[in-house]
Amino acid sequence: MTDGANDEFEALQARVRELEERLESRASEETFRLVVETAPYGMVVADASGSIVLCNPQAERMFGYTTEQLLAARIEDLVPPRFRSAHPRLRQTFHEDPVHRPMGAGRDLLACRRNGSEFPIEIALTPLPRSEGLLVLATIVDITSRKRGEEELLRYSRRLEQSNAELESFASIASHDLQEPLRKIRMMGERLAGLCEAELGEQGRDYLDRMIRAGDNMHRLVRDLLEFSRVGMRQQSFRLLPLGTALGEALAALELLIEETGAEIRAGELPSAEVEETQMVQLFQNLVGNALKFRREGVSPIVEVRGSVETGATGERVRIEVADNGIGFDPRYGERIFQIFQRLHGKGKYGGTGIGLAICKKIVDNHEGRIQASAEPGEGSVFVVDLPLRKRRQFDTDSDPK
Amino acid sequence: MNRECILMMADDDPDDREFVREAFEESGFRGEFRYVDDGAALLDYLALARDSGRRGAHPIPDLILLDLNMPRIDGHEALKRIKSDERLRRIPIVVLSTTESQTDVERTYDEGVNSFITKPASFAELVEMAKRLKIYWLELVKLPGETAAR
Repeated sequence: MTDGANDEFEALQARVRELEERLESRASEETFRLVVETAPYGMVVADASGSIVLCNPQAERMFGYTTEQLLAARIEDLVPPRFRSAHPRLRQTFHEDPVHRPMGAGRDLLACRRNGSEFPIEIALTPLPRSEGLLVLATIVDITSRKRGEEELLRYSRRLEQSNAELESFASIASHDLQEPLRKIRMMGERLAGLCEAELGEQGRDYLDRMIRAGDNMHRLVRDLLEFSRVGMRQQSFRLLPLGTALGEALAALELLIEETGAEIRAGELPSAEVEETQMVQLFQNLVGNALKFRREGVSPIVEVRGSVETGATGERVRIEVADNGIGFDPRYGERIFQIFQRLHGKGKYGGTGIGLAICKKIVDNHEGRIQASAEPGEGSVFVVDLPLRKRRQFDTDSDPK
Repeated sequence: MNRECILMMADDDPDDREFVREAFEESGFRGEFRYVDDGAALLDYLALARDSGRRGAHPIPDLILLDLNMPRIDGHEALKRIKSDERLRRIPIVVLSTTESQTDVERTYDEGVNSFITKPASFAELVEMAKRLKIYWLELVKLPGETAAR
């Protein structure tokens, strides 16, 4: 080949490459256009001066413009009038350091429609370097409905907090005001018994004793009812706690009863779970206390506490069993024993108000768990508590915007 | 005790005042038992006492038994005002209340109370409480007494 032919060939090759590149660039331009057109977000591309050079139908609908109108507009036209004067500076700042800025990051921004109405948005900014200068792609999501949902949720949780506070204050006032007269009945009774013993006589003394006992009963009822109503109403702090710690505290509180009944407590290894400590201590105290209370006459009570972790469809769950060798109960009553004021025995033999197990159920409900009891008369009973190892977050705030 | 002790009780409940007075009598307390109906009356009394010292119709009490839940000025407010008065703040104050709420207890100590006692539920316990209060506050501890506030 001659030199001339060679030159010509090289020039041709260069031309082909150039055409290829232009074709490629046109293809990628096409792809880009297609992506913008069909994206589920509003998209607007603006140049360094803030003029809109490209937009998609979603942006047109969102802001209430036609394509022609939007292409003739500037970015500032989409900003509420009171923020317009400050906006070019923000744009300039971005141009000086053009890095991708993702959605969210907790910015509450407002946008302005053609008719002047405003709506909350989230916006992502992407720099698009071009030979003719830097372009910026703004991806915009209208978050009106999400905002409304969040506000509703906030309003709802405020209402809930308020009604909880009202209930709590009602409970404490009721307890105070109901306890006061009871305390006096008891004190007056004691004074009467002490100072007027001779005049009372045997029968009078008997009536008085029974009156005082009834007052004491009522006092316990009010106190337990108050305790029941307070479960889950006070400020609660759930944290990962070795359940053995809670059991230990409960057993310490029951020390005297354990000693009196000569009970043997077999505490196995217990797992940790995310729980409210005071409630968990009370749960163990009530369950073990219940096992000791309904012991078999002439048989040393044995209470066994076992724990395990199971992985199920709803995540890891903790299972706690409290088993005793006491009098048990008729399995027919397996549900009823957790209802408030339900007693399976006459008051003479076993004291108490019938609230202990109802409190257990309320505590377990409060932990989004389950409690069940199984037993045979005379064969002892087993109480099974099943709790999620981790508390389910109710209002997760870090979920991704759609 | 080489002089007559003065015990001041602020409580709006006449039954409780009587119980406490009787309990102190039974405990062997031989001083003077005075009472007022509420926090406002207590502050009025103490204002007079502050200016007249131990002599006169309004002697400064050696110990104040204070109820929390009272009309006009409640125990919390009375407590705060007494404890912020330079000439009264050394008087020991024991709150006697029916509340068992931990929040109330903590708040009352923050306000400067010397002791917090939940009102006993039986007369026997009340007598026991009176005995201990008498021995502790009126016999055992050294009070700022004559030299400072009086």
